[in-house]
Formats: sequence, structure tokens, C-alpha cells
Amino acid sequence: MKFDLVIAGVGGQGNIVASQAIAQCAMDAGYNVVNTETKGAAQRGGSVLSHVRFADKEIFSPIVPQGQADILLGFEPLEALRYINILNPNGKYVINTAPVPTILANQKVDVYPSQEEILAEVAAKGLSGYLINATQAAKDLGNVLLTNVIMLGAFTAISDVLPADAVLTKLLSMVDQRYHEADVLAFTAGQNSIKAQLHG
Amino acid sequence: MERKFMLGNEAIARAAAESGVKVVAGYPGTPATEIVDHCASYPGIYAEWSTNEKHAFEVAAAASLTNQRAMAVMKHNGTNAAADFLMHVNFTGIRAGLVLISADDPGALSSQCEEDTRILIHNYAHLPVFDPSSVQEAYAMIKAAYELSEKTELVFALRPVMRINHAGGMVRYSEQKQVDRPAEFKIDRSRFVMSAVVEKESGGELRPKMRHRWLNNKQAELKAIMEEATFNHIEPAEGDVGFIGCGIGYAFLKEAEQIYGKKLPILKLSTLPLPEQKVLTFITGLKKVVIFEEVEPVVERLIKQICFEQKVSLDILGRESYLPKEGELTTNLVMTAIESALADKPYPVLPQGKYIPARTRTQCSGCSHRGLLIAMKEVVQKNGGVVTGDIGCHDAGTFEPMKLQATIYCMGSSIPMAYGIKAAGFAKPVYALIGDSTFFHNGLTGLASAIYNRADITVVIAYNSTTAMTGFQPHPGSPNNLNDLINPMEPGAVAAAMGAKVFRCNPYNVEETVKVITEATAEQGVKVVIAEALCYLKFGRGGQISYIPRQVKVDAEICNGCGICVRTFGCPAIILNDGKATIEESGCNGCGVCVYVCKRGAMK
Repeated sequence: MKFDLVIAGVGGQGNIVASQAIAQCAMDAGYNVVNTETKGAAQRGGSVLSHVRFADKEIFSPIVPQGQADILLGFEPLEALRYINILNPNGKYVINTAPVPTILANQKVDVYPSQEEILAEVAAKGLSGYLINATQAAKDLGNVLLTNVIMLGAFTAISDVLPADAVLTKLLSMVDQRYHEADVLAFTAGQNSIKAQLHG
Repeated sequence: MERKFMLGNEAIARAAAESGVKVVAGYPGTPATEIVDHCASYPGIYAEWSTNEKHAFEVAAAASLTNQRAMAVMKHNGTNAAADFLMHVNFTGIRAGLVLISADDPGALSSQCEEDTRILIHNYAHLPVFDPSSVQEAYAMIKAAYELSEKTELVFALRPVMRINHAGGMVRYSEQKQVDRPAEFKIDRSRFVMSAVVEKESGGELRPKMRHRWLNNKQAELKAIMEEATFNHIEPAEGDVGFIGCGIGYAFLKEAEQIYGKKLPILKLSTLPLPEQKVLTFITGLKKVVIFEEVEPVVERLIKQICFEQKVSLDILGRESYLPKEGELTTNLVMTAIESALADKPYPVLPQGKYIPARTRTQCSGCSHRGLLIAMKEVVQKNGGVVTGDIGCHDAGTFEPMKLQATIYCMGSSIPMAYGIKAAGFAKPVYALIGDSTFFHNGLTGLASAIYNRADITVVIAYNSTTAMTGFQPHPGSPNNLNDLINPMEPGAVAAAMGAKVFRCNPYNVEETVKVITEATAEQGVKVVIAEALCYLKFGRGGQISYIPRQVKVDAEICNGCGICVRTFGCPAIILNDGKATIEESGCNGCGVCVYVCKRGAMK
């Protein structure tokens, strides 16, 4: 058994916490686990790719190679596009559709592509997955910082590699108790956003 | 043995603590920084942030001479800064175990340059280097390095790459060893005084030549050690094309082998010097080998040398002759190389990828550097001056939209380069922009040189009281060191004592900063402007900020959408929406600097 997950996002979106919750859960389940982050020369507001790899055998490299990831969680659409080639042909993605504009796009040095352009490029790869507006869902729950928890909930709805309740329990163990109620709501909202598409 | 999930840097610190290390010294630098912090958390270890890597190495080496195991920690640029000491301590040898951590950053993901410090440490200084392929191996190598360092009386180096330092994995570990050795310093001038002294016992030879011979004679002992080292091994398989994985290159090779789905003849090499017999055993009967190493062809050239000396003939392919010469290895690159080499084809020239809008580095919203950068930009736009830059968060002022500093080289270069431009006859004002940690690292001597040589420049020191870029490590201008509260060395007082004319401003007050820099420019000689404001990100958490926070609003009636605030200022909290500037409240930290930038007065 071997499972590779990557989380593509922007610094500050909580991808590290999300990847740690999954990594620790995998360890509790007895798997061998390695992880790392790929960051450009861009610490603040930069592009961040978290790699989580677990298996019941030896894992050599901490980095998920191109074409190998089972799941890509795109916390931001442009970042999802940047790393989409990491997914394997049978892999699945969940992409948060809410864009975080780049500084250069704000300054009109670059053009941030439209949602249609990004999704068309993703679709052209012939991969399958789900689109959710996790940022809006987090705002609806009163806090944009819940975006990563919504994505984590969505992850457990598209993959049964780790039990959903174990992932949630692990996440709650990593955050202050006063956030638990909101986290549970966000996690469930993330699960439901996928289930609605599965059955809808 | 216990098993725990650790980051590479944590595992390296753990192994050092288990080896009974007493003194650890370093200067912050990605990807090595966290090693020192972790070491500081162990009881019985004295850990410090030295002002630069050379001094860190000197502190650690002196502890070794005093019979205590020690470690010096740095990134590759730091090893360059420490190269002078390296080229002396190699000849003297050491006493208690001494390990040098020289962390490389292939691909320069978080660095000013891409380089391979194995060349500096092994090819140049003739010292042994371990190149780990995994976090567990980095841990094991540290423990072996302490034993071998004492056995050979030589510094042992660990050269991890970012994918080791910043990777997490399951590590088997044991307990911290409490080693109580007497802290005795035995004077031995024939070793520890490196000088052109005549040695009577050696027939009147000069000591540097004698010590050089001593180091050369050590090489046979090192080669024998590496022949036995478990870090190198052969994995036999069918085929006449062999693959050699060095350090992290072995990890990518093994993963590529898994994906390829067939066992390949593999030699794992993780030590310098190389185990020559093992190399010869592996290559005998092969028609071709491909070598994967980060990042220069170090092992490749050594193997070519072995083959030349032993009159063995085969194709030796690697970074020099087959693979891309620059950049990081990846599993995919190794896969491509395996397939091409087996098919007797050249490594393919891959098409350039499509540009996806980048996320460039910038200052945080609320950062005092943004106020300083915009003030300096206003000054040089008026007078046509040039700004030389230095390393630190402010270096993002070279990118869009500020595009202020004209040069970035290495730690402390800004000041000598600024007056070099003047020495060449450049008539307009020249400014050096340097941070406080960098000033204490390697700026002091440059400032002394400028003052001594009667330069006419303005040095601007961004004094935010921390080494922010690498995660807020303290420095001599901070209120603390790694262990205690201290009286900060104020850079302005230091510069004044050296003879500079010192000016002061708060960069959050852009108007005042423009005025002060303009005044300083008008003076003759070396002027130092201290732009003092605490790092918002570090000290703001504890409620210490150097501005009066205010909620800035855009008056949509006044804003004409000119976009100057976005195009020239670049605060991530300001965006243009439907032809009007808007401030994203969740991203704004209320520093109010943008109020100055909007000349129409729409920011209130």
C-alpha cells in the first residue's frame, strides 16, 4: 500500500496544519510516513506545496513525483493548476474555486487567469475531481481561516484511506479548544459539499 | 530504540545531543536554521547564534580543542564565509569530535545562489563529507561522524540538502548521552599555531608544509574508513548499465527504480572520499554508469579519475556529461535518465514549461521595510542615486513594484559596493541598504573600510531588532541572545563610534524618513541612517509595534483609480477593484504607510 497526497496553496492558508493532521493520522494507523514542503523563494504569501506520503513499505523520497499523487487538494485554483501534473491519471482533486490574486496580477504585470481558463486547463488533463468554494463556505461559517478545515473534510469524503473521524479528532487535538465547535462544523460542511455532488 | 516522526533538522540535533555534544554555534540560514534551535532545547548543551558562520566555526572548533564535542551549523553561503577558518582547521586537526553542518540548497529555492559545498570541504580542504540520503541516515551519520572525528582528529562534515533538512520521517533514536569530560585545554603550539614557523624536528621545514603533509597522509586512513562505512553499498542486479545514487540522489534513484518496476544495478555512495574498491567492484563488467548527485559533478569526476588511474574503460555519465548541469534532481529527471541511458539515447532537451503567474516574495503587510523602501525610492527618483542592496526581507525591494536596489550579492556587500561605485567616479549619490543582523554579520568591517577610506556614501540600516527572514533569530542588536536578556548593541552607536555621521528615523513615518535621508545625503563622508522600527511580525504578537495602528479606508469619492498605491507600493492588502483601490481588512495591519503614498488623499 502506498498513498501520496499533495496540498497546493498559498502561504497562510493553513496547508501545513492540514498536512500535519493527515500525516499524524497515518502514523497512528501504523504507516511509514514522510513529508515535506516545496516553497518557491516566496515565504510570505507565496506558493506552498505540501507533500504527505505514507505506505506500508519503505519510502525513499519525501517529494511526490509528477504523475504519482493519489489526491491533490488545491486550496487555491491557480496553485492547483501549477501542480496539477503531480496527480496520477487515476488520482482525484478537490479544488477550492476562490482565487487569491498574485501581487504581480494586482499590479497588472501578470494576468491572473479567469476561473474558466484555469478549470479548462485542468479539464484538458483528463483528470477527475471536485470543485468547491471552500473560502465562501468558511466565510459563511464566520471565519475565512476555516478554509483548510473544509478542505480536510472534503478530503475524507473523496478518500477512505484514513477514517474521517480519526482525521477530525487529530485536527482537534492540534488546535485550541475554543475553536473546536467551528472546526467540527467546517469539517462536516466540507464532507457535505462533496457528498452533495456525489448524489446530486 | 524508540521511533518518532522528526524533521531532518530535529534528527540532526537529536543525534548530536545523543553523541554528547556540549557546544553548538551557528548563524541562521535556510535550510539549516532549526538545528541550532533544537540543540538549544537539550539540557547540558551550550548553543548560540554567532554573528556569522566563520565565528560559529571558530567557537565550535575551540570547544573541540578544549576536549568537548562541538558542532558548527550553517547554510552553503555561510560555509563560504567560514572558508578561511576551514582552510586552517583542516591542517591543525581537532581534539574532541567536531562536526560541520553545511546545508546546500540545490535549485536555490531559498538562496541567492546554487552551489555545492562538497567541493569546498572535500576537494579544496581535503576533509571528509557525509551526504545523507534520508533523515534516518542523517541521524546515523552524525553519530558516526563524532566517533570518526575523534579517531582521525579531523573535522567531519555533514552536507544535507534542503530535502533532508526540511523533510520529515520516522526516525529510530536513542537517549541523550551525558558525556562528562574535563574541559581541559592542552597547549600544543606545533599544531594549533598555524604560522610560517621553522620546525627543527622536521629538518627545518616550515610548519604549513608539515601540516599539509599531515593532512595528505590522513587521506589513506579516510579512504579505508569509507571502504568499511555502511553508508556506501552495492545492490547487484542484471544488466550492463549501472546507476550510482549519491546522497538524496540515491533516494530519487530508488523511487525511480520502483516506478520503473525492475531491479537495476545500483551503487549507493554517500561519503567523500569515495570507497575506491567498492566503486571498482561495481563498475567492473559494466559498459556504462549514470551518476546522480547534487549538484556539481564531484563524484563523477572522482570516478573518472579512479578509472583513469586503474585503466578501466566505460562510459561515465552524470552532471558533467549527460544530465542537466544546473538545478535540483527529481525522481522524474532520474526516470528520464534511466530510460534514455538504457536506450543509448542522449538525455532529452525538455521543452520550456508554460508560465503560470508567479507569487513573488514581498514584505508582509504592516512591515516597516515597505515605508523605508518607498521613502528611499522617492529620494533616488529625485536625485538619480543608486542603491546597493543586501540580504534580508528588504531585498524583495528589488522586485516589482519597488525595483529599488540595483545589486544583491552576499552578506555585507552593500557597503563596500556602494563606495566602490563612488571610487569609480559615479557622480550621483550612492546608498547602501542593509539590515541589522546582516550589519553585525559582515557589515561592520565594510563600514570601517568605507570610513577609513573617506568614502562619500549613505548607509541605511533597517533596524528591526531581529533576523526576520529566517524566522526571527536574535542578533547583537536584539534584546536577547539565545540564552539571556542582553543590552542590545545599537547599530547607530556602533557606527558613531566608528566615526560615521548618524541620523535616525522611524520608517513608518515616510515623510520624516524622506527628509532625514535627504539631509544625510547632503552631508559629506559616510553617513549612517538608522531606520528603526520593530519587526511587526515578530514583536507585534506581543503587542510591541512601532506605529499607532489605524484603520485605513479608501474614500471612493476621491480615489480616481490611478493605481499608484498598487503599482508602486505593492502592499498585499491593497487591490484595485472596479477601478477603485480597496483595502482588504483581513490583510491590513493598520500601519498607515499607504496614506502617504496616495497623493490625492484618498487613503484615510
